[in-house]
Amino acid sequence: MGLLKWFSSPRPTVHKLPSGSFTVDRHGKVMTGTVGADCPPSLLADIAKEILSVFRAARAAQMPLAEVSLDYAGLQISARDMQGGAIIFLSPKNPLATPSSTGAKP
Amino acid sequence: METKHKILVLDDDADWLDTCRDFLAQLPSQPEIRIAASGVRALSMLDAQQFRVLICDLKMPRMDGLQVLSIVRRRFPGLRTVVLTGLQDDQFRSRAYALGVDLFWLKPDMQQNSQMFLDCIESLLGRDDAGGFRDTQAKNLLDVIQMECLAGNSSVLRITSGNSVAKIWFHHGELVDAAAEGADGEAAFRRILKWKSGTFESLSAEPEHVRIITKSVGALLAESEQGIEKTANPGSAEELAQQKLVEHLAAIAVAGAEFLVSIPAKKEIAAKGWGIKNTEQLAGWARHVEKTARRLGEILSAGPLVHIAGQNLERHLLLLPQGDKTYVVGWPAEAISGHLFEQSKNLTQSWDS
Repeated sequence: MGLLKWFSSPRPTVHKLPSGSFTVDRHGKVMTGTVGADCPPSLLADIAKEILSVFRAARAAQMPLAEVSLDYAGLQISARDMQGGAIIFLSPKNPLATPSSTGAKP
Repeated sequence: METKHKILVLDDDADWLDTCRDFLAQLPSQPEIRIAASGVRALSMLDAQQFRVLICDLKMPRMDGLQVLSIVRRRFPGLRTVVLTGLQDDQFRSRAYALGVDLFWLKPDMQQNSQMFLDCIESLLGRDDAGGFRDTQAKNLLDVIQMECLAGNSSVLRITSGNSVAKIWFHHGELVDAAAEGADGEAAFRRILKWKSGTFESLSAEPEHVRIITKSVGALLAESEQGIEKTANPGSAEELAQQKLVEHLAAIAVAGAEFLVSIPAKKEIAAKGWGIKNTEQLAGWARHVEKTARRLGEILSAGPLVHIAGQNLERHLLLLPQGDKTYVVGWPAEAISGHLFEQSKNLTQSWDS
């Protein structure tokens, strides 16, 4: 039995990047979204908090932004300001696709 | 056929520009009057069309008049320049004249002595009517050559030093060929560099000219005796800083960007800005955003941060982390967002070298 247990031990899972879009209000509360259920709500809340802080900091620096896009090697996060809240798009990148040149809008 | 001269008026005050345009319409030669509200816009207009006179304000946001005049002096040496400003400080007057401006007028004086002002402008329009290149000053050839390359120009530079005449061919900012004293290619280029002064004239490009020189200008200059001499006896720190400033502003203008801010990773080292006034404010925002983005990237395991883009109705912002520095490049709203990452990367790649 011990041997079977060894073979059936859980394999390490590959971390999947979240994909989809969601809206948040000005307080960072997630309102609606199309992000898969496998993405924990706490993670969406973290993303929302950071994105809203980017918009707030831009306003504080007297350079308010309507859109912002964070481009990582594996993921693009694009966000549009919506009266203090935001709509946020999460687009994982396909490593086999031709690399896009810039913060293209979703 | 007689062609009308063109005057470009640069001022950030739209009402003043309208006033100036109406006022200059009274000039007897009836020149074409064009206006620009920013230094970058003015430089792109000067690139696109041939103007006779530039009338330039000094106090302007992003790129001030002295910065514009520094670039104009090098890139358009045949252009007549007039400063028209409300700043009554003599310091500005002397700095403007040091930059080679033809006239310095205060706005109130211009309104009080309007006829005299018009006469002065008319005189500038009429001078050297035969056309061609005005320059007769001895200039450092290195500056001129480097400026041609930096601006990505296609042109032929004709240089005269005493009885000797030489030509240098440029194609899209690359040195293609040179001819002097019976020699051509690199040998000619080296001979030309030994002429420490001379007059030069910019002729139309000859895109069909066969490329003889394959080395980069940088490599040739480094090899040349003059390059070595310049390294051994550099100008004053102030002169070098001024030259660097001009080169940076020209690079921004040529790329079509509005401004650039270089932000060191260490907070205690101040950020530097070109073409922008509120450098520290923007640097503070950039540091915050980069920190936030890196934190978010770690939470998500999204891989290294490549860049951050922002946009509003007035402009695009591109934030590029590069080694121990982060650059923020501002682009006009009409710039094509799909190309900005590559363009910003090209602009910043050798910024501090």
